[in-house]
Amino acid sequence: MATGYAPPSMYRSQEGMGIWEHRGKVAAVGVGHSPTERRWDERPETSVGAWSIMALRNAIADAGVSPDQVDGLVIVPATTTGAFWPKDKPLPQDVINSFVQTDDPLDGIAKLSVEWLLKNMPELTNINYSVYAPVCMSNALNVAAQAVGDGLAHTVLVLKAWHNLEGRYYQGGQNAQESIAGTSAMTSLWGAPACYGTALQFAEYCRKYGKDHDMMTPFIINSRRNGLMFPEGYWAQHRPEELTAEDYQLARWIAKPANLFDNDIPIMCAASYLFTTAERAKDMKQKPVYILNHADSDAVPRGLTPTLEEVEAECALTGRKIYEGAGITVDDLSFENMYDGFTQFHQFHIEGLGYRGIELGEALDFYQTDISIEGPNPVSPSGGNIGSGRSRFWMHTDSIQQLQGRAGGRQITGVNAEIGVSGGPMPLGGNYTVWSATPD
Amino acid sequence: MAILISFDIDGTMEIGDPPGPVTLKMVKAARAKGIITGSCSDRPMSAQRAIWEEYGIEYDFVCYKHLLSDLKNQFEVGEYFHVGDRDDLDRKYAIRAGFGFFWPAEAAENPLLL
Amino acid sequence: MKQGVIPDDLTAPFWSAANESKLVIQNCSQCDRLQHPPAADCGLCKSGDNLEWKEMSGTGRIYNYGVVHDCPIRLLQDDQPFNVAVIMLDDDPGIQMYSHLPGTPVDDVPVGSAVEVVFEESANGQKIPEWKVVK
Ligand SMILES: [Zn+2]
Repeated sequence: MATGYAPPSMYRSQEGMGIWEHRGKVAAVGVGHSPTERRWDERPETSVGAWSIMALRNAIADAGVSPDQVDGLVIVPATTTGAFWPKDKPLPQDVINSFVQTDDPLDGIAKLSVEWLLKNMPELTNINYSVYAPVCMSNALNVAAQAVGDGLAHTVLVLKAWHNLEGRYYQGGQNAQESIAGTSAMTSLWGAPACYGTALQFAEYCRKYGKDHDMMTPFIINSRRNGLMFPEGYWAQHRPEELTAEDYQLARWIAKPANLFDNDIPIMCAASYLFTTAERAKDMKQKPVYILNHADSDAVPRGLTPTLEEVEAECALTGRKIYEGAGITVDDLSFENMYDGFTQFHQFHIEGLGYRGIELGEALDFYQTDISIEGPNPVSPSGGNIGSGRSRFWMHTDSIQQLQGRAGGRQITGVNAEIGVSGGPMPLGGNYTVWSATPD
Repeated sequence: MAILISFDIDGTMEIGDPPGPVTLKMVKAARAKGIITGSCSDRPMSAQRAIWEEYGIEYDFVCYKHLLSDLKNQFEVGEYFHVGDRDDLDRKYAIRAGFGFFWPAEAAENPLLL
Repeated sequence: MKQGVIPDDLTAPFWSAANESKLVIQNCSQCDRLQHPPAADCGLCKSGDNLEWKEMSGTGRIYNYGVVHDCPIRLLQDDQPFNVAVIMLDDDPGIQMYSHLPGTPVDDVPVGSAVEVVFEESANGQKIPEWKVVK
């Protein structure tokens, strides 16, 4: 069974498509996580492959199904946080020998194939549908929802895993060289770090609406607080450090106006969800969380980096697509779990949604009000990447768990958890899922 | 003449992530000599305070790397040193602030910490 | 100091023009549309058949900027912190180029000001288009 990437037809990229044809007919039931680590310690049992297997098995057990009931796999084959296995570094033979290998010795170490998973999870005897999604869990969720809805499989495991290797993020390779190739030189010669584009949009936002960087403080504090109540998260597991206003406001700049805490920390971890039909979900162990819609943003900026105008237009369009396909309005949202890694685009996402009636330029003022999980207007109850490290999936786990009533310390209490939205990453280029406690 | 030593944490101290060669015992040894000590790290300042308190070691300051020079206003001493493992952050900011600089392995062998 | 540049097939005309102190940008003559960075195909009509290089006037405006304090490129780390601005070309404001804004103080950038192109030597002698504020 050769696995390919999901075709464009599986994504809901356009406005005007109407209500999603499978609205309420697909459900998330099981959630499975691995632990988190800052970097791989090169032991077989902590490899990205091992942790992927752990997350998948945890999701299966959480849903209360037997492995042979699973007939579909949707995974993201790329696992890098930005770290790649160095060309001159010997392969870790003890790790390779601990697993059944594919033709690629880095499979299960610095990348992941369906073939590798099936070879190392013999209990998955009935997989007859598998597909790859690029980049993020957000993307894979859209594909899995569509696959189940379309009947390509009835019980699907969705997986995203990350490896992080020793050494500093993005400091090697081309960035350490004296000369670089002409094509990449066009954009990379000036040394803009990853957060630069978002920092620029934020700078323009602040100039346009008369806001400033310190106004992000409540969002940062709230996100870390929520993340510390995420037992699977990096900060909760390794460094239970809250952030104070002083911590944030005095931190060094990476690309001003983005500072250290506007960036997330690269980590290793894996998560998996079990998706099935609403019909089958009824007999499983956890309360089903119904998918009302999925939406895709595929806008491309005209220039090197998206302008504020482009960002605001695309986030508004994404908001319209989200509501249209789900057949809901903004008033139906109990909470939002839009992406935050970088912090400085979270406000674009929620202004695009018009969350709690906020309009363009109002999100930072909104942050100065009660945005806690106890209040009427919870913002990022998962805590996102700022709260738990760079996985880009905390927001999805949290959305499912909020609606199942098992978000633990993060459970929102100021409002009933009925419908939520999660997704990302970028304002231009992201995937979103609308979740509901009931199918209609 | 009084001395101040600022310690980076991650990659520098034994309790860092990754751990470095500077031990808590060395910090205590420096304090016993009357040296002013504290940390200067990318970790949140509140977390730096919590670390010293967790290990029961007194400290005179916590700081962020780009704010090292502020320590000169806070403490008037004869010599200022920073210990850290990163060229682009620790060494650069130390030099910019007019501090002496030690790599962690150098510091671990320095008589000031023994 | 910027890293040196090794021109490749796609970008060679851009870099050789820069060495002659000329700024050229890729243009699709079919669509009459500039694009930067250059690509194998036009972003609009998706065809590579009508791509050419067009000389620019060399003037623009500062659209936006950030100040880089922690840069991944080793050769630039000694210069931190430094400005990285986005220039929009007068020929077509949809075309953006990055600039370190030589001569402009760090974090004291006149957003919206007029700039003109200059050419600066990189680590291997290849000239790079840069932008200076017009006084
Ligand atoms: Zn064209």
